[in-house]
Amino acid sequence: MSLVEVFDPPMCCSSGVCGLTVDPLLAAFAADVEYLGSHGVTVTRHNLSQDPQPFVANARVLELMQREGEACLPIVLVNGEELGHGAYPRREELARAAGLVAGASAAKPRIRLSADGCCTPGSGCC
Amino acid sequence: MSAAPAASTRVLFFTGKGGVGKTSLACATALALADAGKRVLLVSTDPASNLDEVLGVALDGSPKAVPGVDGLSALNIDPEEAARLYRERVVGPYRGVLPATAVASIEEQLSGACTVEIAAFDEFSTLLGDPEATRAFDHVIFDTAPTGHTLRLLELPAAWSTFIETSVGGTSCLGPLSGLKAQQSLYAASQAALRDGHQTTLVLVARPDAPSLREAERTRGELAHLGISNMRLVLNGVFHAQDVTDAVAVDLEARGRAALDQMPVALGRLPRTDVPLLPFGLVGLDALRQIGTAGTPPGAAPSAAVESAPGETLGHLVEQIAARGKGVIMTMGKGGVGKTTLAVRVATELARQGRQVTLTTTDPAAHVDAAARERPATLTVTRIDPAAETQRYTEAVLATAGVGLDAKGRALLEEDLRSPCTEEIAVFRAFADTVAHGADQFVVIDTAPTGHTLLLLDAAEAYHREVLRKASGASDAVQQLLPRLRDPQYTMVLLVTLPEATPIHEAMQLERDLARAGITPFAWIVNQSLTPLRVTDPVLRARRNHEAVYLGELAAHGKRTILEPWQAGDTSGCLTSRAPVEFSRGLPAAVRLSRSAP
Repeated sequence: MSLVEVFDPPMCCSSGVCGLTVDPLLAAFAADVEYLGSHGVTVTRHNLSQDPQPFVANARVLELMQREGEACLPIVLVNGEELGHGAYPRREELARAAGLVAGASAAKPRIRLSADGCCTPGSGCC
Repeated sequence: MSAAPAASTRVLFFTGKGGVGKTSLACATALALADAGKRVLLVSTDPASNLDEVLGVALDGSPKAVPGVDGLSALNIDPEEAARLYRERVVGPYRGVLPATAVASIEEQLSGACTVEIAAFDEFSTLLGDPEATRAFDHVIFDTAPTGHTLRLLELPAAWSTFIETSVGGTSCLGPLSGLKAQQSLYAASQAALRDGHQTTLVLVARPDAPSLREAERTRGELAHLGISNMRLVLNGVFHAQDVTDAVAVDLEARGRAALDQMPVALGRLPRTDVPLLPFGLVGLDALRQIGTAGTPPGAAPSAAVESAPGETLGHLVEQIAARGKGVIMTMGKGGVGKTTLAVRVATELARQGRQVTLTTTDPAAHVDAAARERPATLTVTRIDPAAETQRYTEAVLATAGVGLDAKGRALLEEDLRSPCTEEIAVFRAFADTVAHGADQFVVIDTAPTGHTLLLLDAAEAYHREVLRKASGASDAVQQLLPRLRDPQYTMVLLVTLPEATPIHEAMQLERDLARAGITPFAWIVNQSLTPLRVTDPVLRARRNHEAVYLGELAAHGKRTILEPWQAGDTSGCLTSRAPVEFSRGLPAAVRLSRSAP
């Protein structure tokens, strides 16, 4: 079965509830992760502000970070291959890449509305 | 020694509203135990700790021997410092590896109020839950933060271990807490230690007055609900008039007796220790050693005190405020200095002059509503209730970000919203909304105790920076918050204190902190002063003489200061059964007192 790794930007939580305003895309992506998990796909999420080690340990991720800075986040790897960076892919695209459905998807990736993490520093959250 | 009421357990917690004398009693107890040959660790978890001042030694996060006392060590958990260390543990290894901007943004993510709370709690938990950490001591005595904050700290082990257990998949919003997941067993141990009556005693400290006893009863109820049963009550400042011709002394004693007569039943069942009102301030070891002794007043005290208090009254101040027609008035200061009563009086008087006034509080231990029963029609009383605000915020998020999610996604979002962060955000937004109302009417805010207030302001500062950078998403009220608090035409901060060493020094510290946030107080109010009153009782005379020292210090400070005479209403909070609230406009306080005496 497939392994999906998500390298999130620095944020308090993966669903975005801690922000000044909640980004619906983060909530939706959290639901997508749950969906993949319930279909047997292993999904691991790494949050830069809580767990920086995996970002350093993965050569591809570190290289992207050093070249493009934080703007490259989130980075999504499927079985070690990059599915995309700078945006969260849609559920259809994730499902296809993880081998849950066949064929290509026309869906465009989601572009995050806010420039950085869900958790506004000093929002009382992190 | 009566100040060491419960030394039968290894761990003692002193809890109570700010200003009731927790620090003094905790110190006196620690001192008494050390003098009796025990090895004692005294721990302060108060963000606005004054333990340094009381013990005469600079404290930090590791035990420091108190000079002059064999066997006594003390430490202070500074939440800000704990947060800084925690942040450094997370970020340190990645400097020079990850891009500098990424490191900076991790640091920013870990600089909010939640990290501060968590880091402080982590330290606290180590002392309580890990026997190794305090093995070198026979007793560990916690001088805890003001009540609301204390309860938060004490509630957290239960709330968080439940939260960690029930979280699905480990991806949900634990926030900075996720860095501490390895500590689950420690949290469980600290919880068990708190509940074990053979290990731990909770000492509720109260003044012999009605609001203080109500507060103690509220705390007792909440602690009992958390499964804590070994509690004791210490009444600090019990007073018996020695001179029955002294109207103030007679009134003070009568008020104390009346309050004790109406002691809440369950509170009255706790084992109790009475500590007499002392004729002197409590700074230094010698003074502490006298707690629980007869407290002999110095007979030949110099009568150097100011005989009358010239200058402005609160009435003048309110007239100036009223002339502005609108704005935010915030009473700030350490808990127990009378912020609530002053806020009520200012709001009531403005409303009585026909102004539209909203009186609101962010104090978790709110009793504004109880104090504001005499209410003009133009006065509205509201409270920022954390539970209600959290509920409202949760519903708003589910109605926006929750739309379009499938059932599982929605369940996930709901679960994330149960995190401790949600309340902080919800309360913060409510605070910003309240301040926004000051654009077209008067808003009087009785702020939470110092530490919490500073966290709020700190959050405001970080928000402000973030908002400037992002300029999207935030409500107008949030974007405008800090500029409004900084605008002296918009916000008038009344710095409230008492004519005693510690409250005045803490108020000066608060003033410095406010200055860093770009906020200048409108005026200082020294509350419950005996100086403008004619007192003949020896204990009260000694206290009155003692005030002169600190009022002199304040005079040298050169700020606009209003001296409020001590009055029964100031601490009884019972504004209804007495004469209507009156301002001191030159009316001799003794007249007011005799008129309003029961």
